[in-house]
This record gives sequence, structure tokens and C-alpha cells, in this order.
Amino acid sequence: MSTATSQRPVSARRKSGSGMYGRLGEGPMAYLMNVPALVVILSLIAFPIGYSFWLSLQRYNLKQPGLRRFLGLSNYIELFGDAAFRNSITVSAAFALVVVSMTIVMAMTAALVLNESFFGRGFLRSLILLPWAMPGVVNGLMWRWIFDAKVGALNGALASLGFIDSYQAWLTSPVAAFFIACVAEVWNILPLAVIILLAGLSTIPNELYDAARVDRANIVQRFQHVTLPWMLHPLLVVLILMTMTSFRAFDVVYVLTGGGPGDATNVIALQTARTAFAFTDFGRGNAYAYIITLVTLLISVIYISFLYRRGKVDV
Amino acid sequence: MRRRGLPWRKIVVYVLAAFFALWIILPFYWIIATSFMTEADALSTPPDWIPTNPTLDNYLAFIDPSGAGALLGSRAAEAIPYALLNSAVVASMTAVLNLALGISAAYAFARMKFRGSQVLLMVYLATRMVPGVAIIIPFYLVMRSLNLLDTYGALVLSYTTFALPFTIWILKDYFRTIPSEIEDAARVDGCSWWRMMRSVFLPIAAPGLVAAAIFSFMTAWNEFMFALYLTSTANAQTIPVIAANFATDLNVSFTSMAAAGVVAVIPPLILVLIFQRLIVHGLASGAVR
Amino acid sequence: MSPHLNRRRLLQLGALAAVPSVLAGCGSGAGRSGSGDTGAVKFQGWDFESQLVQQNVDRFVDKAGIKVDYTPITSAQYVQKVTAQFTGGTEPDALYVYDDSLAAWIGAEYLQPIDDMPDLDKVYDAIYPGNAETMTYDGKRYGLPYYTDSMALTYNVELLAKAGIKEPPKSLEEWEAQAKTLQDKGILEHPIGLSAQLSDTWWAWWWGLVFASGGTLFDDKMAPTMATTDPVSKDVYAWMQQAATKSKVIDPASTTLLPIPLDNAFMAGKYAYILAARYGSRKYNDPKASKVAGKVKMALPPSIDGATEGTVSNTRMYCLSKNTEKKDDAYKLIYYLGGFDENDDPYTARFWFEQQGLGFAFKDLANDAKIKEQLTKWADPAVYAHLAEVAKPRRVIAEPWYTEYEIETQKVIQQVLTGQSDPVAAVQKMADTAAALKKQYS
Repeated sequence: MSTATSQRPVSARRKSGSGMYGRLGEGPMAYLMNVPALVVILSLIAFPIGYSFWLSLQRYNLKQPGLRRFLGLSNYIELFGDAAFRNSITVSAAFALVVVSMTIVMAMTAALVLNESFFGRGFLRSLILLPWAMPGVVNGLMWRWIFDAKVGALNGALASLGFIDSYQAWLTSPVAAFFIACVAEVWNILPLAVIILLAGLSTIPNELYDAARVDRANIVQRFQHVTLPWMLHPLLVVLILMTMTSFRAFDVVYVLTGGGPGDATNVIALQTARTAFAFTDFGRGNAYAYIITLVTLLISVIYISFLYRRGKVDV
Repeated sequence: MRRRGLPWRKIVVYVLAAFFALWIILPFYWIIATSFMTEADALSTPPDWIPTNPTLDNYLAFIDPSGAGALLGSRAAEAIPYALLNSAVVASMTAVLNLALGISAAYAFARMKFRGSQVLLMVYLATRMVPGVAIIIPFYLVMRSLNLLDTYGALVLSYTTFALPFTIWILKDYFRTIPSEIEDAARVDGCSWWRMMRSVFLPIAAPGLVAAAIFSFMTAWNEFMFALYLTSTANAQTIPVIAANFATDLNVSFTSMAAAGVVAVIPPLILVLIFQRLIVHGLASGAVR
Repeated sequence: MSPHLNRRRLLQLGALAAVPSVLAGCGSGAGRSGSGDTGAVKFQGWDFESQLVQQNVDRFVDKAGIKVDYTPITSAQYVQKVTAQFTGGTEPDALYVYDDSLAAWIGAEYLQPIDDMPDLDKVYDAIYPGNAETMTYDGKRYGLPYYTDSMALTYNVELLAKAGIKEPPKSLEEWEAQAKTLQDKGILEHPIGLSAQLSDTWWAWWWGLVFASGGTLFDDKMAPTMATTDPVSKDVYAWMQQAATKSKVIDPASTTLLPIPLDNAFMAGKYAYILAARYGSRKYNDPKASKVAGKVKMALPPSIDGATEGTVSNTRMYCLSKNTEKKDDAYKLIYYLGGFDENDDPYTARFWFEQQGLGFAFKDLANDAKIKEQLTKWADPAVYAHLAEVAKPRRVIAEPWYTEYEIETQKVIQQVLTGQSDPVAAVQKMADTAAALKKQYS
């Protein structure tokens, strides 16, 4: 096979030195192996990221190209005086909080259940992944249809069970609309959380539980002292993923409520898209976007450093 | 011996399992049921829980938009078969490209000690922190200059940048679960690194590869905003774009929207069902059993 | 399927078989029919009846021998996609433009004036002054009319008759009372439907109600007056809130209704009254599309005092993009679509009226025997013409901040309809928003 290998700069013919990784040594070799991925990501993303950040420092509305000028951080400072921004960041924070906590609780429960053995487990394990396959837009349409004021399934079900006398226009109440949007988002993102946690659970060695049982730990203690510490890493991944996803939720809300009624579900991603594309205010729109970036970055750093301190993470 | 009273644990498990099953099935059932209804039945109150006059018209409209059962002028229905094809191609190519780029990077993180490895991993993740709305316009400019607008290429490249950081993360974790003795053994046999990867390591890592591939496939399948802006015709428009059209197309009914929703879910669903075991196994990271 | 599965798609399918090579090949575009330069005029519009558009464009291509590459775009995303295209330099040569977007797109340097093009005066002399005014900005003329229409109170005669009501309401008070009668007699729970789901397009019904009562919202310098000297908005809000939250004659579900579901519900006999563009009645009275066909009539939108008359009109148009390299050909296309054909006949305007009932901007068509005959099938020509006479365009659309203002207003209206905000606070919020936007854009 030497003909095949000799064409490659990297080969493992030599057993000496750094072993398999050839003459380069481990460090440079590792970077070399990252080159393809880095080239693709950076060549495609670096310019957009830099350019959009640059725009966020400018007064730049496409409708008034003549008034374009550099502003520094003014766009950011002004945002805090902007009622629409304050509202949307509040809505988004509440949305992310509700969605992430619902997701974590439900996903953990589902994962624990699916880790038990019971009749139909294989079926449920597959079934629970179904929403993963549903594009957010379709998901939004589905929930709209279910909560429809005239012909919605929910109204039909509640009315025939006698819980309500007349059909309700659910999405017209700000509070209801908010929670419906949360449920729709949770429904969509739960599967990923479940499989990550389920994967985590499946790696816990049985001996740990056996040992705990020998110590006469009850089920709560076993969860607290065996399951939870072992699950910190997958939980971290789920937390980061879900926070990022829910903080920038767009398509589900866009289709479901368009941000209404009033401002009730006007999440920041929606406000950002509207500012940039409907109002063509690229300066402010990008400032909004970098606030989102900053917040997600901050939250991720908090999660990660928290777990670092507990010595549970090696990345 | 330990049978004191009811088997609580079993009961709790079954109750919760039933809850989760209903949580998934009920909404989805309603979409499926609606997709087999006539427009009149779908709009009846109280709802027709089981379609009384089941019809395939909503699905047939995708194949034959001008057919008898089809709605007048529903351009969105006509676009469905193309959109499905486009979505399938884009998502598969994204998955393949992600693996191609992710494997070597992940291997480096999993097996080699190098300065700045953690920083590098964070750089990957940080590229995902900037939301799509911020980069879509400059991204559009990039794609235009590459002459890729309204092609698969534009979508595949953008979804690859979305999915790659997590692909690397998933693969890295999985690769670490593979004992390094395997490589050592291959080395003793005088096997090249490439050959070792191809014939020994990657087959063992298959669950991780599948998990990562499915993850990127789903990212691509579900994405809406980039697909909306980067495509403009049946050449490359994907299912979410067409599904959004259903919400606004001036002639479309909810029954055909439901049918579109069902066909949008089926292909990735099949994948997920086939690979369910491997996905869970592939994500099972952090320890060797 | 075969006519749709054309050669281009087969090429793409072929490409699928060779996945690894596709990515490399996509630069040239797997199966992409050169949108590069084929000499065709690139033309684009929102996707209202795109097959009919294509049909008409094909007719132009046959007659003029100019190739046209027509792309329809989903209406909900039209403005945003056009923005992306102009930003990226991939804009079409000619395109549909909403009157709402005209000023913004001129400001953004997307469009060019067509004053120097041949026979423009002929069109501008033949259309209603209001339409001409809307397509003129800063003394320069930019567009040729696609269609124009105005908002009407559209009602179901049969449902009203069931409640013993013979005439449509003239005042808002009367409207609520009539609707209450329908409600009390158990004919409909919520007789009035509005389309009040947040969207990126204007809420014509709201403007129609304000204009019906002589509201102006802004003074001549476009300073907001709705919270000071012009009480109409506040009074209309007060009525809306009363009708939506107290008597509930306005369907509470209105804030979740987009225009199409509203139309569908009306055509299924689920509403007695809606506010709709005149052309809608053609569909409502079409037995193939509607269960209430033959029973739908139009009237002026009710006003506060029952005597004032007015409504809102809009103008959709065809424009040329600023940097088109095919200006002459593109102009010929939009002149055919928005002006006259080779027989000096406003063929396309006629075509749209006949096919879809879209309002025309050409004065002479109103007296055209064939058009009149068509019109009597679905509307009372006298009411139809009267609506056009009293209709006014929105002047504020010429302001660069109009889009923001419209969206903020829509949120306020939702808050009024759901009882989250009282009428006084609502108009104050509108005024504050307008003032802040004015400042932001100065």
C-alpha cells in the first residue's frame, strides 16, 4: 500500500517521534487537520460577521443612503431608550426562560422514562424524535391550525368535553399567545434535548447505581448523587443549544402570531428581522443582532465556566 | 419478597410514557387527519376527528396541480415535488460535506494534545453565536460574488457553516470513546493513518458519524430564513420556503397546507426512525462502557 | 406532471446522481437556466395569479419579440426579497411596486423616473389624477399603473335580511346596532370580521374607516394630529373597542385573521360584514368559489356621523429599476402592462378586470360597455363608481418612516381590539411613534 500512502504528506509509516502523525509533530498536525473546516467556516462567515458588525456602528438606512455615516456605539446606546427594543428583549428573555426550563424538565423526564425498560419503549424512542423532523414554519402552521378560533381542534376537543361553552380565540390573549408560542417551540426542540440526555444516561455505568443501592440510597438520592453529576456534561450541551435556539426563535413565532397580539410575542429575532428587512434600517438591525450575539455568548460562557469550576467539563 | 403494594415505579413510567406519546401524537395526528379531509370537512365544527369523506386530493394536487381535485392556481402545491427534491439534495449534501470537513478536525481534538485546542473549539462555537438575521445580507453578497444564488451550493455552504461546529463537537466526543488501542494495533500492522481511519476507525465510529450526519441533515432540512433569501425559484427553493408560501399563497386551503406539512416531515422522519438507535448511541459521549 | 418536469429538472436529477461533483459544479448552476445574460428582460412581481401574469407576459413576448424572464415572489416576503436583491445587485429590470414602498425605494435609489420615455403622457392623461399623483414623487413620474382599488363595506344581503335589515349601515353606531340584531337573533355570534393579524402589509380596512369619517391623521407637514386636532382615530378606536370587547359584534378572533382566511370565512357565510377591496366582491359573488355568491353587496364604509363619505384607495404599479441595462425593452414591457398595447387599448388593465375584477386606473374603461356588463354581474356600478369618487390615497406613504409607522399602528390597533389599551392612550402612542420616527429619520 506504500504507493497510496506516499502521495500523502501525512502518513504513519514512521513509528518514531510523534508516532502516527508523521514528522510534523502533534501540534502543527492538529492544526493542519483543522484547516479544511476552518477555511470553510472562516471564509464564509468571517466577512459577514465583520461586515454586519461594521454596519451596526453606522447610521445606515437603505432608504436614506445619503445620510450614512459612522456613529460608533450610538446605535447600541440608543437601543436602551427604544421601547420596542426593551419590550422585545424582555419578551425574548421570558420566552427563553420558559422554553429552556420546560425543555430541560420535560427532556430529562422523557430521557429517564426512555431509559427504563417497558413495553413499547422502542416505539416511543422513535416517536419522540418526530418533531425534530418538522421544519419550524410547518410547526408554526400546525399550532395555528390547532388553536384556531373557528375550527381549531383544541376548541373542538374542549367544547365536546364540556370544559368551555363557546369557542375561544386563544391567540388573541397576550398571555395565552405567549405560552402557546412557548409550547410550540418546546414541541419542536424537545427531541434533540431528549436524545442528547438519553445518550448521556446510557453511559452511566450500572455499577454506580448498584453501589448506591448497597449504600441504601433511595431513588431521589441516587438521582442526586449518581445521575445528576454524571449528566452535567450533556445537560450543559442541552442548555447551550436550547438557550441559543430559543433566544433567537424566529420561524415558529413568525408564522404563529407575527409577534402579536400587540407586542406580546414580539421576540427579538422578529424585531431584528423587521428592523433590518421591513424598515431597511441595517444600522439598528445589526445592533439588535449583536445584542443577541452578546447575550447568547454571555450565557454560554456562564454555563461553561460554572461547569469548569465544578471540574466536570473538558472540552 | 419486595412486593409491597403497587409497583409504583412501573406505573409512573407508563403514565409518563403515555403522556409523552400523546404529546407527540395528538398534534401530529390532527395534521395527518386534516390532510385527508375535504376542505368542507376540515372547516366543520365540531371538528371531524376521523375524516368522514377521506380524500387523497390534497396529495394528488402536488403531482397534478391542474387536476380535478386540485385548487385553482395553487402555485405552492405545484412547487412541492421540486421543493422535496431540493430539500433532500441540500440536506444530504450538507451532511456529507459536514462529515468530510468535520472528521479530521474532530480527530485532532479527540486524539491530539495541542496548545489552544480549547480556544479553537470555542472559535468554532462562537461562529454560531451570531444570529442569522445579522449575517444574511452580507452572506447574500458573498453568494452572489460566488455566483451561487438560487443554487444548491449557496444553501449547502451556509448550512455547513451552521452545522459544522456541532458536528465537530459530537464527533470529538464520540471519537474519545473509541479506545486508542485500536489505532495502536493498526500501527503495529504498519497501516497508514488514512488506511487505518478508513478501514478500522471510521467503521467503529459509525454511530457518531451517523449522529453528526443526521444533526446536519436536520439543520439543513428545517432552515427557513437563508433558504428564503438565497433562493428564488424551483431551482433551489426548499420545503420550509414553500410551506411558508402556503401560509400566504392567495388560493391555498388548510387541507393542502396540512398535506404539505406531512410530506415535509416524512423523509427526515424515515431517516430518524431508521437510525434512532445509532443516533442515541452516537451521542453517548464522555465515557467508555 | 410531465409538462412541469421539464428538461431543467431532469438535468438536476441527473446531477443528484453525481452528488460529489455537484458542489463543484454549482457555480455554473446545476441545471440553472442562465439567469446571467440571455438578453431577456428580468421582470418580477408578487405572486398574485402568477399563471395569468405569465399568460399575459407571453402575449407581450409574442407581439413585441422581446424576451421576458418573469419570476413571481411570495407576496408576504416581496418587499424584503426585493431589498435583498437590490442590496446584492441582483435586481430585475422591471418590477411591481406597492405605493407603500415607492418613496422608500426611490430614496434607496432602486428606481428611476420614466419622464423621458415615449408616450408616457398618453397614459398619465388617461388615468385618474389620484393614481397619477401616487405614482409621482418629487415632481417626477416613476410608475405605470397595475391596478387601483378602494375599500368598501362588503355585506351579505341574505344574512341581513334574515335579521330584517334592508339597508347597510351608514354610521358606526348603526353598524353596531345592526350587528347586535344579528347577534341577538342568533344568526351569527360575531357578525363583523376584520383582518387584524400582524403582517408586513397595510391594514386597508383601518385606513378606510378613518377616511370614511374624514380623518386625516397628519397635517400638511406630516406632523401627527391624531392625538390633537383630529379626533377621528380616537372615536373610531372607541367604537372598535366597544364593538370588540363589550358587544362583541366584532369577532375577537380578528387579531388572528389574515386576509385570506377572512375572505374564506366570509364566503362560507360566517360573517355578515367585512371591509374589503372592491375587487373582492367578484370572488365573493362567484358561485365556483363562494357559498354566498349572488348575495354580496358593497357600500361606503360607515362613518362616525353617518353623513361624511370617504374611503381609502391604493395604487399598485410597474416601475423600472435604476440600473437596468435594458431600459428600452423593460419600458416597452411595463408600457404594455401598465399602459396600452399596440392598438392603444389598455389591454392588461382590461385583462385584470375581466379575470380578477381588479380596479383599473383608466378613466375611459369606466364607460366601456363590455366592462360595465361584466361589472353588473358582481357589483352595483353606481356604488362601485361612488367608492372610487370618494376614495383618497394615504399621503403619509411618501414619508420614509411610513413602514415603521404602519407596523406600530397595527400593534396599537391590536391592543385596542383586545382591550389592552384605551383609545386615548392608543392615539397618543401613535402620535408619539410618528413624532419619534420623524425625528429619527431627519
